[in-house]
Amino acid sequence: MALETVRVSPGFQKFLPKEYQDLVENGPFTKERKVSELGSFKEILEEHPMCAGCAMTLFIRVALLALPSVENSVIIGTAGCGRLALSQAAIPFVYGNYGDTNAVASGLKRGLSVRFKDKPKDVIVMAGDGGLADIGFSAVMHSWFRKEKFTTVMLDNEVYGNTGGQESGMTQKGMVLKMAPNGKKFEKMDMIGLAKTSGVAYIARIAPTNPTRVATTIRKAVLIAREVGPTYIQAYTSCNIEYAIPTPKVMDDARMVEKDRYGFMEYFTDEAKAYWEKTEADRRKLKGPAEKAESQETK
Amino acid sequence: MNQTQEPAYRVVTGPEGLLPPAAAIMGIHLPEDGEGLVEGRIVPEEKAMEAAAIAMLTRKNPTLFPGPLMLWGWNDHTIEKSAPFFDVANEIPGVRIIPMPDYRPIYPKIDPEAVINPCHPNLTIWHNKIEACIFIGVHCHFANITLKMIRAGTNCYTIALCAEAGHEDAMASVPNFTAEKLKNFAETLRRVKKNGVKPLYEGQGIIPSGWAQIAGLTGANMVKPAEEMVEAGFSHDLEKGLDENEE
Amino acid sequence: MSEGLGEEVKTNPQGDVITAAPAPTKEAKKGAAAQRVVDPDYLFLQAPREKTFITGSEAAKEAIRRANVDVAISYPITPQSETMQQVGYLYAEGYVKDYYRGEEEYGVMSAIAGASRSGVRCLSATAGPGLMRGLEVISSWPGGRLPAVLLIMCRVINAPLAIQPDNVELSYMLNTGCLLFHAENQQDFYDYSLAAFMIGEKPEVTLPVAVAVDGFFVTHARGWVSLPAADIKLPPRDCYHEAVPMMDNENPPIRISRDAPIQKSNFISYQMHASWQQEIWAAQERSRKWIDRWLGGLIEVVNPKAKIMIVASGSAVSQSREAVRQAAEQGLEVGLVKIKSVRPFPADEVRAALDHAEKIIVPEFNYVGWLAKEVKSTIRGSERVISGPRVFGGMSMPTELILEYIMGTPNRR
Repeated sequence: MALETVRVSPGFQKFLPKEYQDLVENGPFTKERKVSELGSFKEILEEHPMCAGCAMTLFIRVALLALPSVENSVIIGTAGCGRLALSQAAIPFVYGNYGDTNAVASGLKRGLSVRFKDKPKDVIVMAGDGGLADIGFSAVMHSWFRKEKFTTVMLDNEVYGNTGGQESGMTQKGMVLKMAPNGKKFEKMDMIGLAKTSGVAYIARIAPTNPTRVATTIRKAVLIAREVGPTYIQAYTSCNIEYAIPTPKVMDDARMVEKDRYGFMEYFTDEAKAYWEKTEADRRKLKGPAEKAESQETK
Repeated sequence: MNQTQEPAYRVVTGPEGLLPPAAAIMGIHLPEDGEGLVEGRIVPEEKAMEAAAIAMLTRKNPTLFPGPLMLWGWNDHTIEKSAPFFDVANEIPGVRIIPMPDYRPIYPKIDPEAVINPCHPNLTIWHNKIEACIFIGVHCHFANITLKMIRAGTNCYTIALCAEAGHEDAMASVPNFTAEKLKNFAETLRRVKKNGVKPLYEGQGIIPSGWAQIAGLTGANMVKPAEEMVEAGFSHDLEKGLDENEE
Repeated sequence: MSEGLGEEVKTNPQGDVITAAPAPTKEAKKGAAAQRVVDPDYLFLQAPREKTFITGSEAAKEAIRRANVDVAISYPITPQSETMQQVGYLYAEGYVKDYYRGEEEYGVMSAIAGASRSGVRCLSATAGPGLMRGLEVISSWPGGRLPAVLLIMCRVINAPLAIQPDNVELSYMLNTGCLLFHAENQQDFYDYSLAAFMIGEKPEVTLPVAVAVDGFFVTHARGWVSLPAADIKLPPRDCYHEAVPMMDNENPPIRISRDAPIQKSNFISYQMHASWQQEIWAAQERSRKWIDRWLGGLIEVVNPKAKIMIVASGSAVSQSREAVRQAAEQGLEVGLVKIKSVRPFPADEVRAALDHAEKIIVPEFNYVGWLAKEVKSTIRGSERVISGPRVFGGMSMPTELILEYIMGTPNRR
């Protein structure tokens, strides 16, 4: 039924603004879209007020493209830069209180599971390092302990960007930022280690240097969350404003940080691994030889 | 619900000032099925439809604002309502149809000829100099906040044809508005005209949304709204519209 | 007697009832499956009832049993725990579809916000410090137009920490935008809790409803409660007929930033936020019709012509009823206005009921006297109000104290 919310009632098509007509006729629904297709269809996210050159925006664009079932996904965010883009996307977006994302997602996912027993509804939390590791820490950890079946994506810019550049728990030790005038005194929080300890089914650390890899990682995380348990993606999405990265150098910075300390890493629990291998095998069987080449490309 | 006492407050066309009170707080009650509200008074449903019909036929730049529940064919009820909706539109010469496709605050700014947005509905009313409008298929929460903002700063006569309990903040409102009632409303428009109400824009058809853009693309004549909008009384220079990114 | 409790009642050092969780019996599971949906008017007003002698917590359980609740989430805190444990048994028996113990109240109230957005019927309960912890979220429910029922078992909140009954916490609830009913006794707690679901879910209301009760005095004490049969329940939540779209991707619009971040600093944004807040309080007004219909009005008046009138809410009403009786024995007619709904506040009704009164007494179970303030700001001639008597910190209110105020007003300002 979800697709019917993007079906125009008879006679109204010509009264809709062009942007919505595009969304209806050429939106990313039902069909899986590849990164290489960007520009050839109407994206879920178009106009947004993010800063020029923002790596987070690129990440979000690709992440939204990669959702396995756009028409059955709900995104939850909190205060921070990310929501400025997310609230403009053609996907239901919940903007709740400070640091409540994973608690809201728990209730939402359970409610949706009660109402839609035979139809997977994907819930994805997409919030900043401050929202998830600092103010939302308890809710994040407990959603993991409870094995809530949704994906948590941390947009880790290692700073409170939206409030003007304060140090966060995910900031590198020694960085001089607002509220850390003498340099940050403690290490970047090991959220990946905590995720492992909490039994998160699939964990990935990623920088947005390879859009195709961003897409496959998101897809993996959402599908595993649907069937197995909580998944966590920690994505380096630099703040070019607060870290004074020249706009043309944003991707250079990402590559440098990736090489230095943010290399792609993924971790599966045994159950998640088994599920994913089976899913991939089934997919290959279904697709046949013609599309096999394409799925190789995404490796 | 029976009003034991006539409330003193009247819900009339604005501009009512900076921040008018919610009519419900001022003692205006919602009508029951079969009734309607006109300027805060509960009246029989046909009376409310008649008041709405007269306003749409005689006030400047009448406009229909179909909301998400009308625009998107998400269930049989919506689809069922679409034919009578256009039947109503065809009975109002020179009517504009400007949709409210969703409720997000649109960036960087809206095209007031193409959409109305609940975060800043006034821009659409002001730009198109709309003096009578109908909201239909807008979720009640967003209709209510929109109706109050319009009453604050414009002289627009607002009408809410509501599938649920109705709206106190509209000048005319009918609750439980089914496809059947929409058909009745088209009939009311015909009757009112037959009884001598002369439409302001006799002979004109439906004006498409985004009319200026369409005119630019097709070389057609722009269908400019009729002038002489009552001064809204705000300090802003509204001719250019407000920049949403202004901090 | 609840299935959750054995004949012999054991308590822990804090006075909480210790209950081992029994596995749900086959019969109990059958009971849940056999329930049929009935019209709310029938369930509230017409269904034949039978009297039982149960605690307030059990009365709440019986309300939830018939409420067709989908998701219940809470965090333990005295004196609420017993109720939500009982709801846990209902979950085990299939009366409630999902249930868990949340991480703490901020998380619980946030999860309720998520569940309510998904379109299911939700329930939580808390008390005192727990309410304080959840208050940031609770205050955002009305703006989110999130129907849910929150049961509040009042207890002290200030240091020094204590678990005693005191309803100062309700003063914090007055300005959240939630509807707030205050139950006098076990019967009210059953009736108000059940009706709360249907009132909050009305399309023109679409608001959360808090049902408060004085902890221990009502939750842990037994009283007579008339209950309809357990084989009937409320219709499920009809979420597509509410004031906002559901966040389930099944209803339009697809671009659905419902909780729009209205943060741009210009005039229009201010106006959007202002109009949004007005709408919350307007929605409260619209609930009156349903409170009248299902709870028999926002107030109840005893001896309406008496020159001395008591105004009370919660268990202070029961104490006042007894004071009214004792005064009558001494030949003095005293009247009583019971406030059932604190939000919306029955301003017109209170004004009319007190217009003739020469002396108005407001007994309360808290130090700040929030109800006296409400009454004073509502009526003409506020000097007629004697703000008291008040007890707090767990004290019970002797009827003699109310009588003293009736007869002589000991600490007249």
